[in-house]
Amino acid sequence: MRKSICILIVLVFASACKEKAPVPKEWVLSRTIQLDGVNPIGLTQVNGDIWLSDGDHNRLVKINEKGKITQTIDSLDRPMHIDAVKETIFIPQYGKDVIETVDEKGRFVMQVSDSLDAPAGVSVFDNERAIADFYNNRILYFDGANWISFGKEGKAEGEFYYPTDVQITKDKIWVADAYNNRIQVFDKKGGFLQMMGQNQKMNAATGIFVSENEVFVTDFENNRVLIFDKTGKLLQVLIDQIEKPTDMMIKDEVLYVINYRNGKLNLFDKQPIVIKK
Amino acid sequence: MKKSIIISALLTLMVVFSAVAQDGKDKFMVQVDGLGCPFCAYGLEKKFKEFKGIKNVKIDIETGDFSFSYPSEKALTLADVEKQVEKAGYTPITAKVERANGEIEESSASEMTKKSEGTVSKKVMVAGNCAMCEARITKAAESVQGVSAVSWDKDTKIMNVSFDAGLTSLEKIEKEVAVAGHDTKNHQAHTDDYGNLPACCKYERLSYK
Repeated sequence: MRKSICILIVLVFASACKEKAPVPKEWVLSRTIQLDGVNPIGLTQVNGDIWLSDGDHNRLVKINEKGKITQTIDSLDRPMHIDAVKETIFIPQYGKDVIETVDEKGRFVMQVSDSLDAPAGVSVFDNERAIADFYNNRILYFDGANWISFGKEGKAEGEFYYPTDVQITKDKIWVADAYNNRIQVFDKKGGFLQMMGQNQKMNAATGIFVSENEVFVTDFENNRVLIFDKTGKLLQVLIDQIEKPTDMMIKDEVLYVINYRNGKLNLFDKQPIVIKK
Repeated sequence: MKKSIIISALLTLMVVFSAVAQDGKDKFMVQVDGLGCPFCAYGLEKKFKEFKGIKNVKIDIETGDFSFSYPSEKALTLADVEKQVEKAGYTPITAKVERANGEIEESSASEMTKKSEGTVSKKVMVAGNCAMCEARITKAAESVQGVSAVSWDKDTKIMNVSFDAGLTSLEKIEKEVAVAGHDTKNHQAHTDDYGNLPACCKYERLSYK
């Protein structure tokens, strides 16, 4: 009897110590916010507030949790995929060929090494900067000291066909190679590393967002958001309420996806996968 | 009394002059293929900003309708407009201008390209899967008189074709490719022609509005 009690105690402890397997999760639509008179193309956050670029109306708008506009930055010329660091917003102006910065000190034009032709996206990472230079079919990258340019028009590895968005991460540069319908990944010297999404039949991969473990891509014409792991394996496809999506970001563990055409902001939460019997 | 009549006359003249000045614009309407997203629409708009004096630019990305007004004294031609659309990366389908003097000029893209001499290069989507598809598509396009070079990319599904615009048109080339069993952007292959394709070439059919 005493022996059985001991065995039972050991078994209980053993089961308590056993590491639980992670529960597989997926993104699930939790809320949709209808924006009033905004056709968003890019989004970013500053101090927890959401800013959207409204290309059709040549402005940036700050919205509250209900989607109501609380602040506007106007007199822009087709602002596209924006980004922010600390309290400074970086705004690529497609119609004016400049990147403008806005903060409490005022509005300034960012100095770039070469002339741009329709900058469609900008990314900021510490002192690093990257610009998707749409009509020049290239990426301009600033490593904190020097600018480099990489890419040219084409379909081969390292070539672009109208890049529309870019994101810098710790050791890579990720590019939405929009009309080659794929994502391309580069090292910080502009060397090609990998490609993803090229077999997913995307039609205009216009926006990219890279989180710690996932890569999110807007498939504009097909009304989808594709989610890959960092190796390029497709994990999930979002379609709920997605219509002409242009950009995404994660804020407080919530995925925000914007629809250009109908001005909707869709919020997704990560929830355990429900296995249907 | 005499003074007020003169003032009235001057005011009337100013109003008339102003109206004439406003009317002194040509209104261009172009249907553009390939516009699908705001990047395209803003890009087209951006390239047309190079035409100093352009006003009332309107672009509908759903229909591809693009219109603007332009000072008539600058005598902008439909060919100039077509070239600028192509410079922006898109293909003009039809173009029309209502001149300030009431004259109307109209042209389809094929007519316009015929007027230009020499070889033109066009891109168009053609459905297919594999190397066999590639061989069939390029062979069909090359069989059209006037075609000088063809390539097709199985990943992007884009056919690049160069041809003499005086001898043939993109439409004729697309029709020939469709007869070979491959859907193109503007011409769907007949079900029988598609059915005759080998199993590995049974691509996903294009949908047409």
